[in-house]
Amino acid sequence: MEMKLRYFGQLQEATGKKEEVLTEAFETLGNLRNFLVKRYPELNHVNFKIAQDNKIDSDSSPLSGNLIDLLPPFSGG
Amino acid sequence: MIMETRYQRHIQLSEVGPAGQEKIKKAKVLIIGAGGLGCPALQYLTAAGVGTLGIMDPDIVSISNLQRQILFNENDLGKNKALSAQKHLHTLNADVKLFTFPFALTHENAKQYISDFDIVIDGTDNFYTRYLISDLCILLNKVMIYGSLYKFEGQVSVFNYHNGPSYRCLFPSPPQVGEIPNCSEIGVLGVVPGIIGVYQATEAIKVILGLGEILSGKLLCVNLLSHQNTLLDFEKNQKEIDQIKKQGKVIPIKNRDCFIDFEVSLAQLSSDEKIKWIDVREQDELPRVSHLNPLSHSVSFDSIVGSKQKIIAFCQTGTRSKAFVKKMKNKGIENCFSLKEGAAQLHEWVQKNVK
Repeated sequence: MEMKLRYFGQLQEATGKKEEVLTEAFETLGNLRNFLVKRYPELNHVNFKIAQDNKIDSDSSPLSGNLIDLLPPFSGG
Repeated sequence: MIMETRYQRHIQLSEVGPAGQEKIKKAKVLIIGAGGLGCPALQYLTAAGVGTLGIMDPDIVSISNLQRQILFNENDLGKNKALSAQKHLHTLNADVKLFTFPFALTHENAKQYISDFDIVIDGTDNFYTRYLISDLCILLNKVMIYGSLYKFEGQVSVFNYHNGPSYRCLFPSPPQVGEIPNCSEIGVLGVVPGIIGVYQATEAIKVILGLGEILSGKLLCVNLLSHQNTLLDFEKNQKEIDQIKKQGKVIPIKNRDCFIDFEVSLAQLSSDEKIKWIDVREQDELPRVSHLNPLSHSVSFDSIVGSKQKIIAFCQTGTRSKAFVKKMKNKGIENCFSLKEGAAQLHEWVQKNVK
């Protein structure tokens, strides 16, 4: 199964990507997070949220979505 | 009659009408931060005829603000943002009651000021104030309209709407210092806060009127480069909310990045305010500002703990006083500030303002 990942805010700089497609399978969103943090060590320093199919979910949620959004908090005002 | 003409385009909307305009007139909105987000939000809410607006900002207008903080002009440089905003907004709509708070929202004063309003617009640029607003809005049951940005992107959401989710439901734990680039480190296209701030004003008016879909339980992510707008659902985290309610007070966060509360500028001070001054310089540094009877930096902490007066430390350039105040803050002394300017400017200010 393919899923599309979209990076928001400074996660684009941490990964060097705006989006990418992954074919790996993950049981939970937390598993996906661990995978990404290993692949992009800079993500380790940012506490980002993960949404699947337009819904922000907890790390323990089963990963079933095709569209994954990764969001850091923003501070600017 | 004049009112009807001024708001004719509102009243013509069947969704607003005279009754809706009356609701707008009765609304009380507090805007915390009169910067990139606050300026456009304030302009539209004033134009819309929101009856009571509060403007809170401890900061002064600097030249680098003018690229995006569109309420201000070059004549406002060095003046407090809340006071400058009031001056401009009054000429836009004199019917709007504008209350100014030219100081920072703190754990001590937050309850007092937020209580008087129905809706709070978060126009801040730091997590310290944002979590403070969020927790207080939970405790006082106020609607919080959140906006924030990064470079070409923005986030908008509405919290505590009809007991809906709060900011902590979205981001329960505040970022560590340095985790998110802070306000002075990031560039931003000037129009981005403009658009996000107008989104916030839009949600405020919709909340007042009970109109349409409110961004409650939804995070709108706007990307002005790609025009990819994403609307994400998120759920209420009752545990986070209960934790604050149970405690009955705000849970302070450690990250004070960009929270400028501890620095004040002479422009923020009024000459009749009672202030306890501390001169942190050595005794041979000139000019002396003896008219203010400043305490010396060797003052014992005991003698200033519990002081109800504002304590302001100063030195030659504002550097040593900042370090001094940081030390005081770490010891839990909240009402201590560092003067941005140096002793020479203070000396001049005293001669002009203090009789």
